[in-house]
Formats: sequence, structure tokens, C-alpha cells
Amino acid sequence: MAANYWESSQRRHWLFTREQLDDLRKKLEDQGQDLVQGYPLPQLRHLSIYFNQQIARLGKRLGVRQQAMATAQLYIRRFYSKVEIRQTNPYLVIATAVYLACKMEECPHHIRLVVSEGRNSWPDFFSGDTSKLGECEFFMISEMSSQMIVHHPYRTLTSLQGIFSLTQEESALAWSIINDHYMTDLPLLYAPHTVAIMAILLALVLRPNQTGVQSVGPAVGSIASAAQAALSSVHSSKPGSSDKQNAGPRTKVQRLANWLAESNVDIEDLVDCTQEIISFYEFQEQYNEKLTREQINRFVKARGLDK
Amino acid sequence: MFPRRPHSSHPIGRGTGPVGYQSKVRVIDRYKVIGFISSGTYGRVYKAVGRHGQPGEYAIKKFKPDKEGEQIQYTGISQSAIREMALCSELSHMNVIRLCEIILEDKCIFMVFEYAEHDLLQIIHHHTQPTRHPIPPATVKSIMFQLLNGCQYLHANWVLHRDLKPANIMVTSSGEVKVGDLGLARLFNKPLHSLFSGDKVVVTIWYRAPELLLGSRHYTPAIDTWAIGCIFAELLSLRPIFKGEEAKMDSKKTVPFQRNQMQKIVEIMGLPRKEQWPHLVNMPEYNQLQTLSANSHSKSGASNLEKWYYSTINSHSATSVPSSNASLGQEGYKLLSGLLEYDPEKRLTAEAALQHPFFSTGDKVSANCFEGMKAEYPHRRVSQDDNDIRTGSLPGTKRSGLPDDSRQVKRLKE
Repeated sequence: MAANYWESSQRRHWLFTREQLDDLRKKLEDQGQDLVQGYPLPQLRHLSIYFNQQIARLGKRLGVRQQAMATAQLYIRRFYSKVEIRQTNPYLVIATAVYLACKMEECPHHIRLVVSEGRNSWPDFFSGDTSKLGECEFFMISEMSSQMIVHHPYRTLTSLQGIFSLTQEESALAWSIINDHYMTDLPLLYAPHTVAIMAILLALVLRPNQTGVQSVGPAVGSIASAAQAALSSVHSSKPGSSDKQNAGPRTKVQRLANWLAESNVDIEDLVDCTQEIISFYEFQEQYNEKLTREQINRFVKARGLDK
Repeated sequence: MFPRRPHSSHPIGRGTGPVGYQSKVRVIDRYKVIGFISSGTYGRVYKAVGRHGQPGEYAIKKFKPDKEGEQIQYTGISQSAIREMALCSELSHMNVIRLCEIILEDKCIFMVFEYAEHDLLQIIHHHTQPTRHPIPPATVKSIMFQLLNGCQYLHANWVLHRDLKPANIMVTSSGEVKVGDLGLARLFNKPLHSLFSGDKVVVTIWYRAPELLLGSRHYTPAIDTWAIGCIFAELLSLRPIFKGEEAKMDSKKTVPFQRNQMQKIVEIMGLPRKEQWPHLVNMPEYNQLQTLSANSHSKSGASNLEKWYYSTINSHSATSVPSSNASLGQEGYKLLSGLLEYDPEKRLTAEAALQHPFFSTGDKVSANCFEGMKAEYPHRRVSQDDNDIRTGSLPGTKRSGLPDDSRQVKRLKE
């Protein structure tokens, strides 16, 4: 339920295995083969980066807080696990998700304001008709079976940062890794606390005094192996081994490993989760915004979805 | 956005032209409406049965769509409807009304709930007819336990109900109490904006907690337990314990101090004192209290609740009715005063109230609040005036002169 992830609709209805998710998407593609062939699109990771940029654009205009934008991103990912993207106007879907997420996260904006900012953001692809957004809201809620309460990893991060004595920089880095995970399938594949721990682990391995996540591309391989090493030490570490106060990142990693050894967190999940985000950072290097935008805009225009 | 295709039965998007949103299920295909129950600001409630062998009966709450000109338009769903839809989709507890499904169809929202034959308002009313006769003590105890149990579940899940009152407490024909109408409910874990900024006035005035009346800005689950205290009192006396008159908002839309309501509370509970409620002096409307004391309650300011309680539970025993509430005894008073505690921080929580000796002394609490009762309460009134769930609630489409037969109305429609 609302406070309890284990009984939440998120865990019961919106948590998939990789295979289940692939099947869902395959089915959508099979249903619209002509469309899929007629309008090729970049890989999902790159579409997600593009959507994230557009959400951020709209969110900035409206002054939306990060958590509401995260909720909007999750709504979009859920929605497109049920609806083929080429059937929709992604700009309208983005604006609708932001509009709905703001209501759900208790920072509502009037529909007219969202529509007018949507129109300012994407003048050639966005109708000024509020009823279009209202209609899309029905569509989105219906596809999500009205399950709109979402659990984010931010809360786990907030409650764990003290336990692992994270510095402000380490917390900030973990926070931004959580922000980034909404551009991947991770929120549909793992529990929010797993994602939060992955983010803490990576933040400790990456070290904030390095240049930050965006530019780690070339070093991804070494980060992956450092993270792996930290995780494999979970199995060998003895609980209760001595920790020093004000420990450096290396001992913090060790402390995290000790803590994991005693927790119920599934280490396999954590390994997979880490690999997924690392491979996302690799693919991010090849992202081509112009190509992505053109391919989306092409089907929106050709199919008259902006009307 | 979506390919537009008027009145086609194509699944969405198969075609090449634009289509509008169409629900995958239609409410009239899934349910047969057997009557109209009630209407409110949100819309209307209908009683229905399943068409495909779904067991039991249903209450379908239809949200009123906004209307612009002659045409109904999508105007965006209200935040309160969104909250209710989202919360009800998560909640699952035997003492909270169960949502079966939500259908979004033809610009309307239909929330399908399990049907409850009774509600506390109706049960209380029944005991005033033809003359006042008390609700049996075992029934009161069971209702209170189940009500607190549902409320405890909500609070444990960070949900504030914010509108607990007899009309919103449902009772099934098998005596199960279900907290209903989460239209004002919301989560209180880390709201992005303070709870105050959202909706300034909550809770029907008679059940409104003193901290709200005094202008408190951050309120807590304690507002729900105050309301439960008021409901407990009403189950005993069969009339609202603090029946004040609501001061209306003025033209500047400032929220007025609810003097009359606060006065009613003070008359029974005495004036709140800062010794018993340390944060009292920080309440925005604190200064208003002085003006109250000058009025009718100039005496000691001590609470009359104990006197009120004993005279209430003993009052019926003078009549020939055998089952007076005198058996609820001293523990009943302690529970009541714990729920009607002025200081929200000292007020009993739902969880603590469930552990109260009131429930562990005397007869065992039954999960069926009607256990041992001979008579049955009258069934919920269901009217046949408006059986067409698809058009009935549309403003300006009030229909008259329709045959008083649901099937016939249906057929006309189809």
C-alpha cells in the first residue's frame, strides 16, 4: 500500500522480469508491424534520454520538482509498456504525465498552464486544445489501471545516507544516479531500495571528486569492475569487522558490503542493476539528439498525431 | 493525439487516421444498474449488479464531468478524484470499503465499489424512530472497534481520511464496518507542499477537530481520531455531540473562525487550557478563545464530558428498553475522553485506542456488529428515478417523464 512497498501496486503489478518486459514490447511491435517498419525509431534507451530532456524542459518552465518529474517518467515508461509509441504523440504523453504526476505529488498545475507551456515547448507538435490533454489523461490512467502511487528510491537513499556516513558529494552523486535510472528499465525491474543501494555503491566507487557520471564513459569498464569487486567482497566479508569513523570511500564500500551481507538485499539483483546502469552510461555516449528528434517528429507529422 | 474515429469499434490505433480514447470495457456491459442511491458535489452513486456472474452487489460512483457549453469536454480530472482513485487502488483492508474496478468511459469516471447495505447515519437515524431507543452496547462496541481498525490501517499507510462522519462509515448486511468515501483523503508522508496549502477546509464542521478550528496549519492523524470520538458520542446519544453552525466564507475567501462550532465544543469540553495543551498559545486563532469564554462559559471551564457521558448512557434506561448503554461503563468514558482530548499530541491514536480496556473488558468484541440482534435495519433506499448511469448525472440533462422501470429505460437507450 501507500507506505508499504511490499503490498503496493508497484510491486504487485508493475514489477517485471526482463523476459516479461521484452514480451510485452514484442507484442506491441507485432501488433503494429507496418508502423514499426514504416517509422524506424532509435533504441529505447535513446528515446528515454530524449523524453527525459523534454520532461526537464517542460518541468523547468512549470517549476516542477525532481520527484514529480521522476513520477512522470515512470508513468511514461509504464504507459509505453502497454501502448505502441507510434500510436501516440509523445509530446502530448509527456505533458500529460507531468500534469498527472504533479497532481499525484501534491504540486498541481492547472491544465491550461500545462497545455500552454507544452505549446511553448513544442509549437509544431502540440495542440493548444486542453481537451486533448484531458483525453490523454484518461488514456494514461486507464492503461495504468489507476495505479498512480509510486515508490521512489530517493526515500531509501535519504534514510541510508546517515548509516553509511555519505558526504554531501557522495549523496548528491547517488541522487543523480537515481535521477538517471529513470532513463532505463530499472524502475520496472527492481525494487526502489535495490536501486538506491546500487546508486550508493556506484557513488562510492565513482567518487564524487572525479568528474561525475556524465563523463565517465571511457572509464566505465573500470568502474564496473570496481563495483563487481565490491560486491564480490560481500560474500567473503565477515560481519562485524572493524569500521573506522570518518572512513574514506574504500572503507565505506567495505562497510556497505558488510551491511549487505547481513541484509536481505538480493546481491544478484544488485549486480544486474549495477550492470544495467553502467551499460546505460555507455549507450549514452552514442546518443544522437538530432536523429532521435527527427525520427519521432517524422511519425507524429506523417500520422497527424499532433492534430 | 490518437487517431480520431468516431463511433468505431476498432481497437485503438489499428487504423491510419486519428482515433479518440475509448474504454476497453463499458460500464453498462459489465453492470446492470438497479437504482440510484445518492448524489453529491462529486457526482452520483448507483446500485448495480454484475452482468457476468460477478458475485454480490455494487455501488458505482460516477464523477460528474465538467461541461462547457452544450458539449461535455475533457477538462482534466480534479485532484481529489485522482487522489481517491489512486488511494483506493492501493488500499486493501476488511474495514475499508473495497474498490472493484475503475472504468474511464465517455469522459466520465466510474468507480465500482462493493455495496454496503447500511451506513452509520442511517443506523443512528433508525434508532430515533419512532421514539429514541439506544443502539445496543455490543453493536456500539463492535462498530467502534472496526471503525478504529480501518482508521488504524489508513494511518499506518500514511493516509489521512479527513472526512470521517456517520454518513461515510458503511456497514454491510453481515455487520462489517467499512470506512468509505476517500474523496478528501490524502497521503501525509512528506508532502511537497504543506498539507495546509492544498485545501484549506476539511472535515464536515461537526466532526472538525479543535486544532483545525483554531487554524492549525499542519495537521495530523489526530484529526481523524477526534472525528471518531464525535462518532462514538453520536452512537451513544443518537445526535451530533457538537452540533455547531458553520460560518460561511466571506467574499474575500478568507476562512472565518468557526465561533459557533468552537462554542459547542467548549460547552461540553470546557475551555482548552495551555497547561493541558502546550501548543495552544501558538494557534492562529488562539485570541478568539478569550472572546468565547466571555460569552456563556464563564464558570470554571472544567469539562462536562463525564457528566454528559453518564447522563447519556443512563438516560435510556429509564424507559422500558432493556438494553441500555449503561453497561459500557467507565471504560467507555475513558475511551471517549481519550479520543476527544484537546491536545492532538495527547489524543489517543487509532492504534492505542484499539488496545483500550474498553474493548477487552466485558463481552468479547464481535466482527459482526449486528450479532445477537433480532431486528434488521431497513435497507438502503434505492430510487428508480434515474437509472441511466450513462446520462443521468449530466448537468442540464435532467430527464423527466421516463417510465419508472429500469429495463425499459435501458432499452430506450440502446
